Amino acid sequence: MPRTKLHLERRLTQPRSLNWIVPLVSIVAALVLGSLVLVLTGKNPFSVYWRILDSGFASKQAIRGTLIAATPLAFTGLCAAATFRIGLVNIGGEGQLFMGAVGASFAGLALKGQPGWFIILGMMACGMICGAMFAAIVGVLKAKFNTNEIITSLMLNYVAGIILNYLIFNSTSYWRDPQSFGFPAGKPISSGSYWPTYEIVGIEIPFGFLVAIVAGLFMWFLYRSTRFGFEVGVIADSPGAAKYAGMRTRTKVVAVMAISGALAGLGGASDVGNFRHLLDAKGLQLAGYGYTGIVVAALARFSPLGAVFVAIIIGGLTNAGYALQGPDFQSGLVGTLKGLILFTAVAGEVLTRYRIRVRRADKAGAQA
Amino acid sequence: MSNIVKKFPGVIANDGVNFEARVGEVHALLGENGAGKSTLSNVLTGLYRPDEGHIELLGNAVSFSSPRDALNCGIGMVHQHFRLVSSFTVAENVILGEDTTDVFTETTKVASRVEQLAQQYGMPVNPRASIWQLSVGEQQRVEILKVLYRGAQILILDEPTAVLTPQEADILFKTLRSMVAEGRTVIFISHKLDEVMAVSDRVTVLRNGKTVGTVDTASTSARELARMMVGRDIVFERVTRTRGGASSQSVLQVDSVNAQDDRGNQALHNVSLTVAKGEIVGVAGVSGNGQRELAEVLCGMRASTSGTFSVDGSSVDAGSVRRTLAAGIAHVPEDRLHTGLAAGHSVQDNLILKSYRRKPMSRFSVLQRKIINSNATELVDRYDVKTPDNATPVRLLSGGNVQKVLLAREFSTNPKILIAASPTRGLDVGAIESVRTRLAHVADDGVGVLLISEDLEEIFSLADRILVMYEGRITGDIPIADATRESIGLLMGGSAVSEVR
Amino acid sequence: MNSNLLIIIATSAVFYGTPLFYAALGELFAERSGVLNLGVEGMMLVGGVTGAWASQHVPGTSWFVVLASIVIGACASGLLALLHAFLVITLRTNQTVAGLSITIFGGGLGLSSYFANVWNVSEKPVSHPIRILDVGGLADTPIFGPIVFNQTILTYASWVLCVLATIYLFRTRIGLHLRAVGESPQTADAMGINVTHYRYFHTVLGGLLAGVGGVYYSLTIVPTWVDGMTRGAGWIAIALVIFGFWRPGLTLAGAYVFGALQSLSLTLKARNVHINGDLLDALPFLMTIFILVVLSSAWAKKRLGAPAALGQPYEREER
Repeated sequence: MPRTKLHLERRLTQPRSLNWIVPLVSIVAALVLGSLVLVLTGKNPFSVYWRILDSGFASKQAIRGTLIAATPLAFTGLCAAATFRIGLVNIGGEGQLFMGAVGASFAGLALKGQPGWFIILGMMACGMICGAMFAAIVGVLKAKFNTNEIITSLMLNYVAGIILNYLIFNSTSYWRDPQSFGFPAGKPISSGSYWPTYEIVGIEIPFGFLVAIVAGLFMWFLYRSTRFGFEVGVIADSPGAAKYAGMRTRTKVVAVMAISGALAGLGGASDVGNFRHLLDAKGLQLAGYGYTGIVVAALARFSPLGAVFVAIIIGGLTNAGYALQGPDFQSGLVGTLKGLILFTAVAGEVLTRYRIRVRRADKAGAQA
Repeated sequence: MSNIVKKFPGVIANDGVNFEARVGEVHALLGENGAGKSTLSNVLTGLYRPDEGHIELLGNAVSFSSPRDALNCGIGMVHQHFRLVSSFTVAENVILGEDTTDVFTETTKVASRVEQLAQQYGMPVNPRASIWQLSVGEQQRVEILKVLYRGAQILILDEPTAVLTPQEADILFKTLRSMVAEGRTVIFISHKLDEVMAVSDRVTVLRNGKTVGTVDTASTSARELARMMVGRDIVFERVTRTRGGASSQSVLQVDSVNAQDDRGNQALHNVSLTVAKGEIVGVAGVSGNGQRELAEVLCGMRASTSGTFSVDGSSVDAGSVRRTLAAGIAHVPEDRLHTGLAAGHSVQDNLILKSYRRKPMSRFSVLQRKIINSNATELVDRYDVKTPDNATPVRLLSGGNVQKVLLAREFSTNPKILIAASPTRGLDVGAIESVRTRLAHVADDGVGVLLISEDLEEIFSLADRILVMYEGRITGDIPIADATRESIGLLMGGSAVSEVR
Repeated sequence: MNSNLLIIIATSAVFYGTPLFYAALGELFAERSGVLNLGVEGMMLVGGVTGAWASQHVPGTSWFVVLASIVIGACASGLLALLHAFLVITLRTNQTVAGLSITIFGGGLGLSSYFANVWNVSEKPVSHPIRILDVGGLADTPIFGPIVFNQTILTYASWVLCVLATIYLFRTRIGLHLRAVGESPQTADAMGINVTHYRYFHTVLGGLLAGVGGVYYSLTIVPTWVDGMTRGAGWIAIALVIFGFWRPGLTLAGAYVFGALQSLSLTLKARNVHINGDLLDALPFLMTIFILVVLSSAWAKKRLGAPAALGQPYEREER
């Protein structure tokens, strides 16, 4: 007896418009779901959302704060987007960012006395190298032993956090401020090596964010127009074809992980250079940049340039969360919304791959 | 006594097939790939529903809506691709999915029953061993035990010796005979004539979805079976060639190549062959006899364990795709969309899949999009590929156009040797013709072509010389003038050359 | 080190290891069916906060309230797991990202802290905490006494659960089918096992158990609700599953090892024994990586490895 059933059918083509429709629909859906939660707990969603928008985007000061919050997110978003292209998910962005911060603050402290721009370049370089090496561990383990990159990067996140704690709280390391007895803190870098903030068309943009834009453009170019990007794309699309064409898969995996780690490391460097000006073990671990970066990347459908743009949106949300913190604004709301956005982004992704069809299925299964 | 009567006229894969097996016999189902054997057995085991016709079991009409139904009626199938969980033990695999209300696995009881069954049929197997520890032959025994454990009276084996060594095959035949002596029925699907002759009581031959006939094994011969299998009535149209066949200069020389397949079994045994400039050498044989491994070795995707091959006199390093590319070997693989092409990538990207590393497609590691695009436009035009534009993903193209893209790319590398595996499989008539014409052209231009195909018609229409592969060996090397369908068919089925002459 | 210290360490190992075991056992079931659920941390927190709320609002006797809190907390966590299951099994989304979204959604700064705020859960300690069971004088037995008998009912339940789980996985037919689903869904499907049902069921079961683990934190360890109080226990639980080679018995042992390490550095510091606490902290994570590398060798993979189909969505090939 035939019966109808809902069936997910693979789409043949992906209309270009999906690239921005899906993220938009995701945000809207997340907001709708979020308002459900708010209503169920007796709050007014409209006023809550209005206040978020206000604190996130409505004034110069708000935008300044938003871009500050967005900078590390742009980097971790790029980090996640970079590996997605080869079919891996790098959830080690968190740890790689930490290591980048360690490396950058080291450079910032060690290069004291040199001209400002030199120190900044040094911080960027050290941040990238540390992040890249940390990520390469995951890549090498995957390439050589085929170990699950999800678990290894997760474990390394923890190890990186412990390293941070060690450097700042549990030892008298180079990074620790000798003057901070009661409350251990990182040693600040010299004011000459602070990363600048530029005012462009009336908006204050941190140097770090500009670097993120450049990085985004670079990643876009890399994946779209170079041999490297071409090979990565083919490997992800069809490992059989990649093998057939003589591409070296395993080195690519390590390379992509390293690039991804370098991006996260830059994020850590920008945090030290542009904002905290020291290695803030506690603050970095509480911020959750790495994991939020995955939300950013997912919403941007893992496109590099999209990630930078979406980082602004999520940065605004985060900034609003900080600004509004208080008795009449629930602290968990920001995380809840972020989680909902990730849900809807991920569920929305399904609709780009599949179409919902109603189909009559013969009970015996396929026919000869 | 009749056991089964099955007719289903009107199904495309099985066009009015009548089949009948008796209690206590080994009945072979013979035919080439695509003849309809698998479809027939899938209907019998409940995987497919016949469009027309019916099945009778011991005189009672039955109908199956799922494999469970068939199993409950005592029909069990041993598939070519085993359904075993490799980390489980034999006993665990045997009881997996059993239709029972038992809560506990009671491994001891199961193990002893399995052991008992195994002994009964001369298939010793350790019920507590894990599957990955077993040889392929032993794994097959587990599959048989699975079916016997559930009380199957009719066993269907699909190409069972495809994965076995000759020794293991002999053990299997003994097992089959002992099962049949107890009153069970065995249906043995195969394309191997010698085995069919050795183990079966009767043979039914299928061709193109129809029954050709059923004969007693004792009163027939391999030759006659081959004739039934491949048919006698085709007239081949040779594709016209401007230069009649080979020159004397050899362009590919393969010397005693040995190689293993993915499982670690020997796939190629001392394979040697030559291809001359401008010559089309057809490699005939049912798939699974080493052809894929041969192609993979020659194009660098698979390392050989010993032996060498050389192009134009210079030896080529095995196991490196880049080096075989550099040596001038082009390869049109059987699996177009998963090996030869990156299915999700555009036409233009696929057309540079082998040339993207060098100029003019890329300079200083940056892809030159304009040149890639114009390259694609030119090739699409020259090879008459029907595609909306260069950026269309290849998986959206029709089969014929997919193949044209492949050929276009391979031809554009200016190869010295072209290895074409099943180049016209699955294509419509027009595409078939155009592909064959192009292959002939490229041979006329001096390229040596190794045409690997299961389709005898294709081989006969293009080849200057025919090699036959059987179980990893070249069993025949016959110039086209001397070759007949029957003789090739015999060689494909495993007969020795001497029997053929 | 004197034996007194060892006993204290062992006792706290069991005490702190119990919630880790619950969460890990849940994840073990999910992973055995082939589903990787990275949302454990979020699920534990949601379970914990819901349990704390229940403990303050459900009327009745102490025992009833405790039981109700555990059940309610488990169900809240189970709902999140159901969401994950839907995303991952039916919609076939990337399991990593889906699990991560559950953790972000439910975790500290997420839903759990939102609920805590809205329900005013952390204002006062929970009214009916789960106390250590008083088994009379048994707790004074030398050596084993404090370790075994100075624990809560949840710990004792966890031992029973461990035994049941082992029997379930390795001696029942359903357990066999479950393992088949995780090793080779195609084979399981071909043998008539409903892969989807098994995956849904065991993923949700994982959520229920994680919720119990979360409730342990809010109703036993502190016992009050503190934002983000699991402090990464969910992530540790995921590592623990690997550490325990996907076997309940080893997972229990591993949970106690991790539990010991968690309380070790503090305990030692209090006793003026200086061992580098951070190295101890890092040890479990480094060991897990080591185990993973070992597991990927062909030898180990066949005998000890992860369910072969872990993390891959199953799509039945339509002919």
